[in-house]
Amino acid sequence: MSVIAEHGGIAEHIHPEPQGFVRKYIFSLDHKIIGIQYIITAFVFFVLAGCLAELIRIQLMNANGGFLTPDVYDEVYSIHGSAMVWLVVIPILTGGFGNFVMPVQIGARDVAFPWLNMISFWIFPIAGLMLFSSFLMGAPVAGWTEYPPMSLQGGAGTSMWCAAIFLVGVSSTLTGMNFLVTMLKMRAPGMTFTRMPLFCWGQFATAPLLMIATTALAAALAALFMERQFGVPFYDPTKGGSPVLWQHMFWFYSHPAVYIMILPAFGIMSEVISVFSRKPIFGYRLIAFSSAAIALSGFMVWAHHMFTSGIAPYMQLPYMVLTFVIAVPTGVKIFSWLATMWGGKIHLTTSMLFAIGFLVLFTFGGISGVFLAAIPFDLHVHGTYFIPAHLHFVLVGGSLMGVFSGMYYWFPKMTGRYMSELWGRAHFVLFTIGFIGTFLPMHYLGAQGMPRRVATYDIQFQGINQFESICSFIMTAAILIFFINMIYSIRNGKPAGHNPWGARTLEWQIPSPPPYYNFKRIPSVYGLPYDFTEPLPYKHLEEELSDTPVAVGAH
Amino acid sequence: MRSLSDPKGRKHRKRSGASVEQSTKPDRGFWIVTAILGLISLGGILYFWMIPTVEPWLPPEGGHPGDQVDWLFRFMASSAALLYTYVVGYIIYFAIRFRRRRSDPDDALGVNLHDNPKLEAAWTIVPTLFVILLSVLSIRIWYVLQVQPTNGLVVESIGRQWYFTFRYPDVNGEVTDQMHLPVNVPVTLNLTSGDVIHSFWVPDMRLKEDMIPGIINTIRFTPTRIGTYQIICTEFCGTGHSEMNKQVMVVQPMAAYQKWYHGWQLRNAHVTNALATATLGGKIQLAGGNVAAGKALFNEKCSACHALGPFNQRIVGPGLLGVLHDPSHPNLVNGDLAVPANVAEILQNGYTGSIGHMPNQAQNGLSNKDIANLVAYLNTLK
Repeated sequence: MSVIAEHGGIAEHIHPEPQGFVRKYIFSLDHKIIGIQYIITAFVFFVLAGCLAELIRIQLMNANGGFLTPDVYDEVYSIHGSAMVWLVVIPILTGGFGNFVMPVQIGARDVAFPWLNMISFWIFPIAGLMLFSSFLMGAPVAGWTEYPPMSLQGGAGTSMWCAAIFLVGVSSTLTGMNFLVTMLKMRAPGMTFTRMPLFCWGQFATAPLLMIATTALAAALAALFMERQFGVPFYDPTKGGSPVLWQHMFWFYSHPAVYIMILPAFGIMSEVISVFSRKPIFGYRLIAFSSAAIALSGFMVWAHHMFTSGIAPYMQLPYMVLTFVIAVPTGVKIFSWLATMWGGKIHLTTSMLFAIGFLVLFTFGGISGVFLAAIPFDLHVHGTYFIPAHLHFVLVGGSLMGVFSGMYYWFPKMTGRYMSELWGRAHFVLFTIGFIGTFLPMHYLGAQGMPRRVATYDIQFQGINQFESICSFIMTAAILIFFINMIYSIRNGKPAGHNPWGARTLEWQIPSPPPYYNFKRIPSVYGLPYDFTEPLPYKHLEEELSDTPVAVGAH
Repeated sequence: MRSLSDPKGRKHRKRSGASVEQSTKPDRGFWIVTAILGLISLGGILYFWMIPTVEPWLPPEGGHPGDQVDWLFRFMASSAALLYTYVVGYIIYFAIRFRRRRSDPDDALGVNLHDNPKLEAAWTIVPTLFVILLSVLSIRIWYVLQVQPTNGLVVESIGRQWYFTFRYPDVNGEVTDQMHLPVNVPVTLNLTSGDVIHSFWVPDMRLKEDMIPGIINTIRFTPTRIGTYQIICTEFCGTGHSEMNKQVMVVQPMAAYQKWYHGWQLRNAHVTNALATATLGGKIQLAGGNVAAGKALFNEKCSACHALGPFNQRIVGPGLLGVLHDPSHPNLVNGDLAVPANVAEILQNGYTGSIGHMPNQAQNGLSNKDIANLVAYLNTLK
């Protein structure tokens, strides 16, 4: 069925586009459609998990609780955390943006294994529905970390949770493998690793984390499932198991997982800041290599989550020092983005505003991470509200700000239309204010003595908690604006043309939305995509826009 | 706003490219901003070193080595103030100073600056040096935590759903209400759990360690300030986790401590330490149970969780008034008939189910004789 065309001696396959609705939009093999499917599905779960977050905040309006029973409250925050990590941030950054953008950026027509890609995607909504359905049979209560023996006591839904997270892990592992092979084998001629866009470097550093770390989690989950369903004693100390074993295996996955959730966002930052500063990215090589350094060292720090678990004292030190060391490549990235802004012609578009918000908030979360890495201070704040404060600063202030920045940036590529800049700014301002008001005071609450995962708390903290809840409503309003803006703009946004931001990476040199085959002819690459003063470093792109009217829009 | 057009796709205007010639050297404005940020961060640094205590940020400090943690906090907070002021200050300054102005042509570009090896080396090496310094300081304080005196009082605390119990040397049984410590005496606190993982935290002492079933974790410290300190569980442990903060650590002068200790020792004279005498398991001889001894035991050990009220009057477990005589509840929580032998069986083997969790004999420290006494007492409640 394939049409074979000869171009400059290179035989190239262009498969015909499937015509039926089901093959085109449901069980699609096209990485762009799959990427959008990931994004839509993740946003649906984002809304559900966000509603759970608001239930948490409503409960905490009153020091004596009363809105939810303690058991229901425990279920709510457990599913909130699990869903946000596994069903929202990881899928949207890897499966979503990774799928949509990465193959085009390296000049490929699709990922290496399109069928596997489709399977990865379809596992994900099924796993998500399984996770939420655990509410029907008594959801897990022990938080997203599900430490045994508590998780052995949890409701029947805890086993469902194990199965759902296991499945979502399979999806992640397949995606990681697929991306790794794609980036190793399918780069366009001349697209060397040192010419690859930094978003792809972010994905390239993430892929091995997805492949290797997720398998450890799968083993831990399988063991927990077997212990719960069949009584195989892995974790129950009364039967000779070890509860600390779970913690090691869980964090061996979940610490790399925080880099799975931030490295692609770093990649988005590198693209967005360079394009909107109208300036080459500063220190390309150092940014690229620091991603790899973070990914590598991310495997060697997991026990810093366990300083209070009684691991041998001398074993704590290397974990502490290595965790401090990760601050260096992370700092290098932040300084490099700052230097990219220096001397630029900065367009303060919504996408750029979110990138600036990312820099401000993620740096704060990174610094509180250094506080937590220092064992003596960690012994004080571990298990308190300082932890949710830190993790929301890096996950919401970092990853989610990156997601929003990427959405406003690539939305014109996905749909051919802009999202409203006016409402985008409203979204940015309200979201940032709401976010800081919700999570900044949590550092103080934790240091002062409020433990996390509590349905009721000491009356002295009630005022601050009420303030936080009100700010969280502002954040919800901002999210509502975002979704309305996005859905409205799909059909009614201003037409944007193929390259509204004047960007130089490959995905902006083809029509919006990109055709099924991406490139009529695979381009050749002879330079970095960040030299704004030079002509584009690509050959064979002349025909790409020939049959598409080039609309120059205004944003 | 106008569009960012592709420089290749549209004709350049005359003025475009002017910005390319812009100097990459920092100018006066940059140094002025740098100086202002320096002053702000200096204010932050001075603040964290000059405040007499870190109480605005952390709870009042109650012992050694918690004071060491406060020093590390001051160091990290002042370093963070320096770094964060500069990062945020520069972001805001650059975003304003280098914003595209309305007068700029559509396709104006920033300076063509790719890298600066010296600058990149600097911001790799300087943070590395800082990380080494921070590691050295943290390890020093970590070391202080490891070498606390081992010759003081040894206390054992056991986390249970959802309260803490405390064991003292030379006293049988477990204290269930509060922990007493003499001031200025080093304490070795051994922590473990009777069920799931708990965590023992006294914010004022800046010390925390998990209570893990099957493992004994140790923390050593010296309380230096007389007072009453809240003990908080910081590891999620089930329905009652939020309420597992009601007990306190009482730090008192030696004389007062000894008075409490001896009084409690006397009250517990009748308790045979089940773990010490190893009369666990086996058939319980219910005959000859001592009602008075059972009553004392109930008040000492059971009343923390069980009210002397009707079944639905719950503290942690159900109320036990009339448990053996209530016609509306002919069955016990585990479904067995409410007869003395079955009550003894629950006291011996514990119960975990829809009502909650009742510790078993190995956890509740009751000997077979104690159980007989308790059942005799429960039988008198109508």
